[in-house]
Amino acid sequence: MNAIGVLLLILLGLMIFVGRGQGLKAFLGLVCNFVAIFVLIVLINWQFNPYIVIAVTSLIILAIAIYLGADDLEVTNVAFKTSVIVVAILMVLARIMQYFGQFQGFATENSEELEGLSMTVGLSFNHIALAVMVISVLGAVAEAAMAITADLSEVVERTPNMSATSLFGHARIIGGQILGTAINTLFFGVLGANLPLIIWFVRLKYPMAMFFNAKLLTAEVVTMLLGMLGILLSIWVASWLVVRANMQQQKVGIKNE
Amino acid sequence: MLQKPTKKIIIIVLAVVAVWFFLRNDAFLYHGPVGQVTHVTEKMTQATTDEHGNDDKVYTQQLTIAVLNRHQTLKLTNTYAQSQVITNRYRVGDQLLLETVGEATHILSLKRDAWLGGLTTLFVGLLVIYSRWRATSWLLLSLVLNVVMFGFAIQIDIHDKNANVLLVFSILALCLATASLALVLGKTMQMALTLVTTIVTTCLTMMILFMVLALTHSKGVHFETMSYVTQLPSAIFMAQTVIGVLGAVMDESADIVAMQFGMQRENASRHFSDYWQGGLSVGRDIMGTLVNVLFMIFIAETLPMVFLMLRNGNNWSYIMDQIMNLGILQTVVSGIGIVLAVPVTSVVVGLVMSRKAVMQ
Repeated sequence: MNAIGVLLLILLGLMIFVGRGQGLKAFLGLVCNFVAIFVLIVLINWQFNPYIVIAVTSLIILAIAIYLGADDLEVTNVAFKTSVIVVAILMVLARIMQYFGQFQGFATENSEELEGLSMTVGLSFNHIALAVMVISVLGAVAEAAMAITADLSEVVERTPNMSATSLFGHARIIGGQILGTAINTLFFGVLGANLPLIIWFVRLKYPMAMFFNAKLLTAEVVTMLLGMLGILLSIWVASWLVVRANMQQQKVGIKNE
Repeated sequence: MLQKPTKKIIIIVLAVVAVWFFLRNDAFLYHGPVGQVTHVTEKMTQATTDEHGNDDKVYTQQLTIAVLNRHQTLKLTNTYAQSQVITNRYRVGDQLLLETVGEATHILSLKRDAWLGGLTTLFVGLLVIYSRWRATSWLLLSLVLNVVMFGFAIQIDIHDKNANVLLVFSILALCLATASLALVLGKTMQMALTLVTTIVTTCLTMMILFMVLALTHSKGVHFETMSYVTQLPSAIFMAQTVIGVLGAVMDESADIVAMQFGMQRENASRHFSDYWQGGLSVGRDIMGTLVNVLFMIFIAETLPMVFLMLRNGNNWSYIMDQIMNLGILQTVVSGIGIVLAVPVTSVVVGLVMSRKAVMQ
C-alpha cells in the first residue's frame, strides 16, 4: 500500500482518537483547505484576476481554519476579524516586497528540474509569487489569532470587571509567550522546508553577497518575515479587539472610563 | 494617549528608512561590481507560442547601468519573457549584482538586500514596541543562536563525508529546542518538562515514519523529486522532517504544559486524571490550527512548480504524485507529531505533577 496513504490513515486515526469530534473536524478542515488551494491553482491557471482569487481563497482558508478549529463563537469571531485585518495588511506588504524584490519564479539553481519544460508559459509568475507569500502566512496568522483570543476571553470570563489597562497588561504577558513559541514554530518550519536549498548554497560556496540577494533564498526569508510579522500583528490586533469589546460591555453599566 | 504610539511609529519608520538607505548605498561592501539601472529601452522582439499553446511575449531591454563601486557605466542587453518564469524584467532604479568574466559582464542577481533589511527592521521595531526591549532581545537572541547552530551543523554535514545526516540534524534539532525553550521559558521545571515531551513525541513520530516506510517499502514516496539535491535525498528529507516536527511539537507542548502548570498553581493537590483531561482539552483546541500552519508552509512552497507543470501540459495526478509528493508527506508526518504531542504531554506532565502532589 502507498506509504503516504498509510500515514494519512494513521493521522486520521490519531486525530479521532485524541480529539474525538473536534479531531475529525480538524481533519476535514485540512482536506477543505487542500481543496481551496486546489481551486486557487485552477482559477489562477485560467487567468482569473489573481488578486481577487488570492483574497477570496484566503478568506475561505481562514474561515475553515478558525471556525472548524473551535466552537466558542465569541472567540472565533474575534479571531476571524483579526486574521482578515492582518492578512489584508500582509497582502499589501507582500505586494510591495514583490514589486521591488522580484521574487517570482525560478533561478539557475533549478535548471536541472526545469530541463525540457517550456519557460514561456504566458502566466505571470509575479502573481504566483504573491500567492505563495500570502498562503504561507495564513496558517500562522490564524493560529496566533486563535491562541491569543482564546486565552484572553478566558481571562475576561474569570474577572469580568477588569480595567482596560490591566487587560492590556494580561494581553501583553500572554501575547509574549504565544509570540515566542509561534515564531519558533515558523522558524523551524521554514528552516526545515529549506534545508536542501541552504545546504546547496553552502556546499557550492556561494559568495556572501548571494546569501543576502539571491532570489530563492531571499524569497524564503521574506516569506518567513511576513509570517512573523503576521503573528505579531495578530496578537496586537486581537488584544485590541478583545479589550475594546470588553470595554463596550462594561460601558453599558458604567459610563465613562 | 495618542502621542506616545505616534512617536514610536515615527521612530520605526525612520529606522526602516535609515536601514534601507544604508543598504541601498552599501555597494562599497561588495567585492564584485554592483550596478544601478539608469536608463532602459525595451521592445518586444518575439511573440511565442509553445508546444502547449501558451502565448507569451519576449522583450529585449537595453540597460544603461552605472557601476556604483567601479565608477563606470556600461550597457547590457537583457531579454525576458512576460511571464518571468526564470527571466527578470529590470526597471530604472533597480540595483544589480554583476559579474565580469573576461571581457563580458553579465547580471548575477537583482540586489535585494535593502528590501530584506527594511522588512527585518520593520519586524524587529514592531517587536520591540510590543514586548519591550528585554523580552525582544531574548527572542532575537534565540533566533540568532539557532541560525549560528544551524550553520555549524551544515558545516559538519558538508565537511565530514561519513557523517550521518539524520544524526547530525537530530542533534542540531535537540540543541535548537533546548536553546529556544531555555531562552523563552528560562531554566525552570516547566521548560524541562516541555523539552522532555517534545523529544519523546518527536522520536515517536519519527519511529512511526520509519516503520511505515519500511513496511510499505517507501511505495509512493518519491525522494528523487526533491529540489536542490547535493546528497542522499531521503536522508535530507528525514533531517528536514525532524526539524519541522520538532518546532511544531515544541509549540504545542509548551502551550499544554503552561496550562497544566496553571492548573497546579490554582490547586496543587490534583489527581492525574485532572491533568490528563485538562491537557487533552487544550491540545484538541490547538492541534487543528497548528497542523494548518505547517500545511500552508509546505504547500505554498510547491506552488510555482505546480503552475509550471500545469502549463506544460501535465495532468493533476502526475503533479500530485511528483511535485506535491514530499510536501504532502511532510505535512502528514508533522500532523502525526502534533497530534501525538497531546497525549504524550498530558501523560508526562500528569504523572510528574500528581506524583509531586502525593509526595508533599
